[in-house]
Amino acid sequence: MADTVAERGGGLFEAYKGYNPRVIFFYPVVLLLLAVLAGGLAYRQLLRTEIYAEREKVQNQRRILVPGPRGNIYDREGQLLVGNRPRFAVVLYLDELRSEFRREYLKIRGAYRESGDKDLPNATQMEQIARFTVVDRYLRVINKALGRTGEVDAPALTRHFRSQLLLPFTLLDDLEPAEYARLLEQLPVTSPLQVYTSSTRSYPFGAAAAHTLGSVKIDDIDVAEDFPGADLKTFKMKGTTGRDGLEAQYDSVLQGETGGTIYRVDPAGYRIEPPLARHVPVQGKNITTSLDIDLQLAAEARLLENEMAGTAIALDVHTGEVLTLANVPSYDLNETSPRISTAKFQEIEEQGGWLNRAIQGAYAPGSSFKILTALAGMRSGWVNPDSEVDCNGYYRVGNRLFPCHDGHAHGKIKLAEAIAKSCNVFFYKHGIETTPEVIATEARRFGFDQRTGVELPNETRRMLVPDPEWKKATGRGPWQPGDTANFSIGQGFLDVTPMQMATFTASFARGQTRTTPTLIYQPNRKPQRTEAIGLPAAQYDALVLGMEECVSMPGGTAYRTLTQMASMRIPGLRIAGKTGTAQKQTPAGIINFAWFICFAPVENPQIAIAVMVEGDTPGEETGGGRYAVPVAQAILKTWWQKQQRATGTPVATSAPAAVPTARD
Amino acid sequence: MVVIAWLLVPTAVKRFSRLTFFEVQAPLELAPSYVRDLQDYWSLRTRSQNDLIEAGRDLARLTASYELRVQENGELRAEVARLESLLSLPTFNSYRPEPARVVRRDFNGWWQRLVIRKGRNYNLTVGAPVIFSGGVVGRIAEVGAYTAVVEMITSPGMRLAASVEGDQRPISYQGGLNAAFAAPRGVVEFVPLDLFAAPNSPQKLVTSGLGGVFPPGLIIGQMVRLEPSTDGLFKSGEVQLDPRLSELAEVTVLVPLAPEIPPVGTPRP
Repeated sequence: MADTVAERGGGLFEAYKGYNPRVIFFYPVVLLLLAVLAGGLAYRQLLRTEIYAEREKVQNQRRILVPGPRGNIYDREGQLLVGNRPRFAVVLYLDELRSEFRREYLKIRGAYRESGDKDLPNATQMEQIARFTVVDRYLRVINKALGRTGEVDAPALTRHFRSQLLLPFTLLDDLEPAEYARLLEQLPVTSPLQVYTSSTRSYPFGAAAAHTLGSVKIDDIDVAEDFPGADLKTFKMKGTTGRDGLEAQYDSVLQGETGGTIYRVDPAGYRIEPPLARHVPVQGKNITTSLDIDLQLAAEARLLENEMAGTAIALDVHTGEVLTLANVPSYDLNETSPRISTAKFQEIEEQGGWLNRAIQGAYAPGSSFKILTALAGMRSGWVNPDSEVDCNGYYRVGNRLFPCHDGHAHGKIKLAEAIAKSCNVFFYKHGIETTPEVIATEARRFGFDQRTGVELPNETRRMLVPDPEWKKATGRGPWQPGDTANFSIGQGFLDVTPMQMATFTASFARGQTRTTPTLIYQPNRKPQRTEAIGLPAAQYDALVLGMEECVSMPGGTAYRTLTQMASMRIPGLRIAGKTGTAQKQTPAGIINFAWFICFAPVENPQIAIAVMVEGDTPGEETGGGRYAVPVAQAILKTWWQKQQRATGTPVATSAPAAVPTARD
Repeated sequence: MVVIAWLLVPTAVKRFSRLTFFEVQAPLELAPSYVRDLQDYWSLRTRSQNDLIEAGRDLARLTASYELRVQENGELRAEVARLESLLSLPTFNSYRPEPARVVRRDFNGWWQRLVIRKGRNYNLTVGAPVIFSGGVVGRIAEVGAYTAVVEMITSPGMRLAASVEGDQRPISYQGGLNAAFAAPRGVVEFVPLDLFAAPNSPQKLVTSGLGGVFPPGLIIGQMVRLEPSTDGLFKSGEVQLDPRLSELAEVTVLVPLAPEIPPVGTPRP
């Protein structure tokens, strides 16, 4: 014992000498523990390598996605209606400025310490100050080079640095070509300042067909499921999606294919060149619309002359392809790209410019509906080509006198002349005889109670074909004979869209009942075949004759505009049309809707048109013959000139004195 | 031993050496250049009197033709000035041409440079355009006391705002990765979609003048291939450069009389 104490007391460290068998007991335990550790290490390092490789990848790799440009939209002759224009911006790659940020930070910290300022910012604040200072320095150089006065948006810079470090920070946007060229030549290839190119929508024809083509809005980009790096932290550039019109309807077709780059980053999130993988963005598919931009421009120009809201639709009679879909007021699509200002949005809103009247407006069709009333009367046996009425300017229904067109007394008048001169009395009488149920059934046969199905979003459902049952069901009381009188001349409860009137006209011209309009051009599209109109040839011809005389016979409601005025004649083209002037009671008074439906050439119908112009002054006569017919004339004239050029026929430059009528 | 010795050298001396390396090295490059000139001189001295007399006559004729052109240029310059004055057009940047002998060519896959025998002693400035009889050579990248380094248009680090002859729209030209003895080439980007080029119908690429460094109309090369990019916004393609660029013996530096701002990529703190 004493020896042991002596041994221990002699040194600073306690030592054990000799062999103790009890220690053997611990060897297996230690070995077992070591084996467990080695096994665990081997398990993680050899067997679970994929998991750690994946974790390392997720931690150290970043994915940057850029949108593919949208596809173009063309008219039927290949003219570009919607394309993409490059948008140049000068950007700063913040992740390349790491050392500059650090130097600036140290400089700022040193300056604060030297000054002995009590309100010393904390490290985060000083980092922000350093970043702002460096970025501002770069921006000032650009400002000097381009003569601009851009300023750094400090909150935007902070947000960008925190969440989008790998994406370039935009210093100046929408550079002019000269500015872009200047920077291109003066910026060193390796500078963190670079000219960045993106695409934005471009509309060569400005406001033309704005409601049909539609606009786009800035939105997140979609990524294909099989796009590599789905598990990586991803930075996305903004893309666009269709807001309305064809842009919205065919968004999935027009949308470009997203591209992207995968980078390795260091622990602070800064990019390490070169990229690990790169996928180039691909432009979306193009669309060729059925629109004819020449007809479209002609229609819009003439609609604008009216200085009233309105719409015009032209269809290919056989295929239903929409040749023109014009709306005023409209808006320049270029002002919506890449984004529309709030002030501009409000301005268009106040003008009612967002409304696509052709498919979203429901209006009483007025006398243009008389063709359907006559058709219903013929099919029910109440009307035939020789039906005659003695018009003394008014028609009594119960105790109420219903006036004829402009209060005129037409005297004894037959069907064709009643159509040509738009004699209300003729249609009051025969409409009441035909009954509202039959007229409504006939209207439904032509699809007036349904949407046309044109490939545009937000087509209204507010169209209405009334009948006694409907009136009773909606609590408006029993159907009165006066309701039938109004219904017969396209007034009262009846509401249709201008597009419906265009499809009705095309169907009628083809001798059928339905036309499905389409905005997509197909060179060899088959003619539409639907239920036949169901009239004997003589009866159908009488209706067409009335429509042709509306244009060509003195006293016809479109005669003065389309035939009497030499400048408005279209030599060689026989037109069948029907005007209409519907009235609507508003709080301010009665306003008119001017209508004109027509097709041409009479002998071989090719084009069908419907025009509607909204009167804007209560009490003012906004007649179809005066306001709607010139719009159709502008479309027909352009169309006829193109037809003649296509067939090699010399285009007539001066009109003959008179056009022979069908009766002549 | 050298490394150890270098490590023992004071920091100030090392820093000075690094900064002045180009200037210290310059005489080593200049000397062979002057020797080559001397060699050329003595080789000419071996020519016969008749050869020299004939060369003298040719030179006299050439000088006479140049005199005529100088006179014509003077008249044209006066006419241009008159028209600019009449139409209130801004005057083009003016340059002072400074011919300089090439001292050394430094070609590799990463950069393509020339060292010329003039520097600050002739008031050359960084960024000044350098040309030869075939068009653009490049721009001054570094200026020493007696020499300057020219970054050539064949170098990937060289980019300028070009345009197709007769078209005003700017196109980005950048030097390509050129091998030492291969035909020099460059690449163009941001080419409008309505421009076309093929080996059998090349388009002449010239400086646009919009960049503020190069005057407009200087020949860069021939666009021999254009292909639309996948994003559908532009085309990109290939430019064939003048093969004489790899054997230049003399170039002309256009020293701006009213210097534009220097390249903007590197702000000073």
